[in-house]
Amino acid sequence: MLENQSKELSENREDEITRQLWANGLCMKTTEVEAKLDEGNIQEAESSLREGLSLNSEEARALLGRLEYQRGNLEGALRLFEGIDLQAAIQRLQASAPPPEKPVNKKNRPREPQQQPVVPQHAASLVLEAIYLKAKSLQKLGRTAEAARECKSVLDSVEKIFQQGISDAQVDTRLQETVSHAVELLPSLFKDSGDYQEAISAYRRALSSQWNLDNDSCARIQKDFAVFLLHSGVEASPPSLASQVEGSYTPRNNLEEAILLLMILIKKFNSGKAKWDPSVIEHLTFALSLCSQTSVLAKQLEEVMPGVFTRVERWNSLALCYSAAGQTSAAVNLLRKSLHKHEQPDDLVALLLAAKLCSEEPSLAAEGAGYAERGVKNAQGMDEHLKGVGLRMLGLCLGKQAKVPTSDFERSRLQSESLKALDGAIAFEHNNPDLIFELGVQYAEQRNLKAASRYSKEFIDATGGSVLKGWRFLALVLSAQQRFSEAEVVTDAALDETAKWDQGPLLRLKAKLKISQSNPTEAVETYRYLLALVQAQRKSFGPLRTISQMEEDKVNEFEVWHGLAYLYSSLSHWNDVEVCLKKAGELKQYSASMLHTEGKNKNPL
Amino acid sequence: MSDSSPNHDSPPPPSITGGVSEPTVANESDTNAKCQTALQSLSSIVTTATIPPTISLLLEDNAVSAAISSLLQLPDSGAGDNNLCRWLYDTFQSAEPPLQLLVLRFVPLIAGLYLSRVPLRQPQAGFEAVLLALYAHETTSRAGQAVTVNIPDLSHPSIYHESKGPAKNNSTCLNIAVISSTLDPHGTVRSTRRARIVGVALELYYGKISSMPRESKLNFCESCEKWAGQNGEREEQKPRALIPEEESVAVGGRSEKDSGRIPLPWELVQPILRILGHCCLMGMKGEEDREVSEAASKACQSLYLRSLHDINPKAILATGSLLRLREMALDPKNQIDHTEISSDNVLSV
Repeated sequence: MLENQSKELSENREDEITRQLWANGLCMKTTEVEAKLDEGNIQEAESSLREGLSLNSEEARALLGRLEYQRGNLEGALRLFEGIDLQAAIQRLQASAPPPEKPVNKKNRPREPQQQPVVPQHAASLVLEAIYLKAKSLQKLGRTAEAARECKSVLDSVEKIFQQGISDAQVDTRLQETVSHAVELLPSLFKDSGDYQEAISAYRRALSSQWNLDNDSCARIQKDFAVFLLHSGVEASPPSLASQVEGSYTPRNNLEEAILLLMILIKKFNSGKAKWDPSVIEHLTFALSLCSQTSVLAKQLEEVMPGVFTRVERWNSLALCYSAAGQTSAAVNLLRKSLHKHEQPDDLVALLLAAKLCSEEPSLAAEGAGYAERGVKNAQGMDEHLKGVGLRMLGLCLGKQAKVPTSDFERSRLQSESLKALDGAIAFEHNNPDLIFELGVQYAEQRNLKAASRYSKEFIDATGGSVLKGWRFLALVLSAQQRFSEAEVVTDAALDETAKWDQGPLLRLKAKLKISQSNPTEAVETYRYLLALVQAQRKSFGPLRTISQMEEDKVNEFEVWHGLAYLYSSLSHWNDVEVCLKKAGELKQYSASMLHTEGKNKNPL
Repeated sequence: MSDSSPNHDSPPPPSITGGVSEPTVANESDTNAKCQTALQSLSSIVTTATIPPTISLLLEDNAVSAAISSLLQLPDSGAGDNNLCRWLYDTFQSAEPPLQLLVLRFVPLIAGLYLSRVPLRQPQAGFEAVLLALYAHETTSRAGQAVTVNIPDLSHPSIYHESKGPAKNNSTCLNIAVISSTLDPHGTVRSTRRARIVGVALELYYGKISSMPRESKLNFCESCEKWAGQNGEREEQKPRALIPEEESVAVGGRSEKDSGRIPLPWELVQPILRILGHCCLMGMKGEEDREVSEAASKACQSLYLRSLHDINPKAILATGSLLRLREMALDPKNQIDHTEISSDNVLSV
């Protein structure tokens, strides 16, 4: 190897940087050569280099090209690199390399240690670096497509020369550097030139072939690939079957591959094999939230090494993940910790989230009210817009708290406080439909049905009738006011606006309305229709819905049979009652209401 | 009692054409004929700009796009008898990919106008027809199936990493996440299904996002900001407690400024986030791309504030991470070129 690794001796005088060229044990200052290049005298520059450092033409041009590149004269560099014939160089290298070794087989172990093929590294290194710099120059000049071609040729040549991939012992630092750079550059060149399919193959080639990349380069390429898969909008064809192993996980689409790569990166970081890159966890957050898999995200966050996040940050992020996944108690526990007076008790988002989660459980509602009050107090200045949210949460918590009262006085006090808070909230957020709905529910619970019906109509208007619970609420309020026919009209309108699978609760409501209007035959019809729907839902697995949609309550078949039994018993059709009770009994053996109806059946008087 | 069902003056139900996955058997002349018919009928509708002679030119023609956009933004452009809607519907039904691409380009505008006008109770059969056509196309090409993602478990080896597989059980505990739920065919837009239908149109739009022009993406970002509503952005901050708390204001009145705000269920938010992710993070180079990226970032900010107001943890996580990612991408510290060579002052062979 003819490299000379002596320390640099250049002096920096203000703007002037004196460079030196070293080769074959000889040294030369560049001032003369640079002058010649500036004049455009390539031939002279080349010949002075060849004489001064005893180089051949190729080596001289490569060195000069590199000099021009570093000086920023990209056009000049390109001119110099034009003269280098990559193909010829590769052929020479291949000719001089020994034939590739037979693959090592466990059965016939060679008796002497393997000898690595000795490829003339120096020549290869020079030529490849030159072509690589050519690609870089083209990139900087904006000619990305050509740059990509040149870069690809570097990698193709490396593959031809080192047919079994590059291993540690084989390659010197400089050549390895060039190869690593080229591997990393190629996909981004294709990406910039808009050739997305080539970019994808370049990424895959970078990650699955043996380039002996160091950990950081490998991690960077994996991250870039994951980001590309997540956000480019171009669907990559799945990786080839050849690379699959039995029982291994093979991604079938962009999201799967991106999530896989990001998870691998986090694991690498956790085991110390890569530097922490904060964008990785953010991309993973984005991807997993899109898939509604925040519990997986929570696990990943938990596994991240301590010291990366402050503990309050970690708790809050975990709380968000768990609450999105429906694991309320875990989330509340975490928020309790982070809102403790010694941690970050004034974090507004945490307070509001805690209040919201607590408002769903009567046992936690009092605690939630505390969080909501603190939230309202802390919503100052820039965050003042969240004051309405705080008031809303306060109202909800107080309303929920009113369900576990110790006395009537306590309950009515809590209810009026709740209304006050919600009214305060609506002053801030008068176009928040959820708030309108909640106000309506509060009024309904306090039996102020006029206000409740007004708010429920407002909710339907505000949401354009797109939320099922609004329709149901209006129908219920109307029926509470004994306005059964109007309630039925509302239910019918709602049935018009819902798809078949979601009509269960509405049909049940309609049947009960018909009963209340003393219209038993039509009620029976409705029940029959509902029964058919419920049975159809049971037989097919039902549509595959996202988690939020599965939470819509479905009607239980048992309920239908039981309702029918009750209906028939009021009509005194005792045989039908028997049949229905039997069917109901098949579904649920022990039920108090069913036994009651059965008793009535036996004793019709 | 208020009548809130939209006018079901329904257009002819979209015919179930063959799925895009089947190779189009139509030969060249057929395609050309369809393109020519589309172009000709367009020229009778768009009178303010000249229609270029070929489809590929039309896809890039800014003047025509601007003309179509302004026609769409007229007050009753969504009505059942609107010519432009009819043209968009017919063009999409022609099942020619370049023609379909042309219609997709206007999806953000159409979806934006449609959803914002719902509270006004205008009949919008024209817009609905176009959206239903898109929905039907996707339903057929997917055969109604859900799109799922199998979340990896790192204890199983993969093409990118080695691992000792899980000890004994051979069963891969599949963790299947649903990205897009199953699609039931719909002949009309029922209000409870409205969000899903528009969401599917947006999913289709995302599928072709890399071919969408800059204008279209900007339209989308603007629509998103409108949909999110005003949620305490600094410029608009008024102490609303000063509004007299009469029942009528609280119940009946709705702020004029906030007229675009719509309910945002996850069926809409998820495709919106995917599109915004693309706009925010892809292509930060070049003036045009940066404009899109800026607009997307503003839309993301609005959605983030909205998700805080609704206290929707999933949306908070997703929008928050997009905003932080954009910040990181703009940070000069993160823009080191790792493929640059070291510039020593000693060059050696």
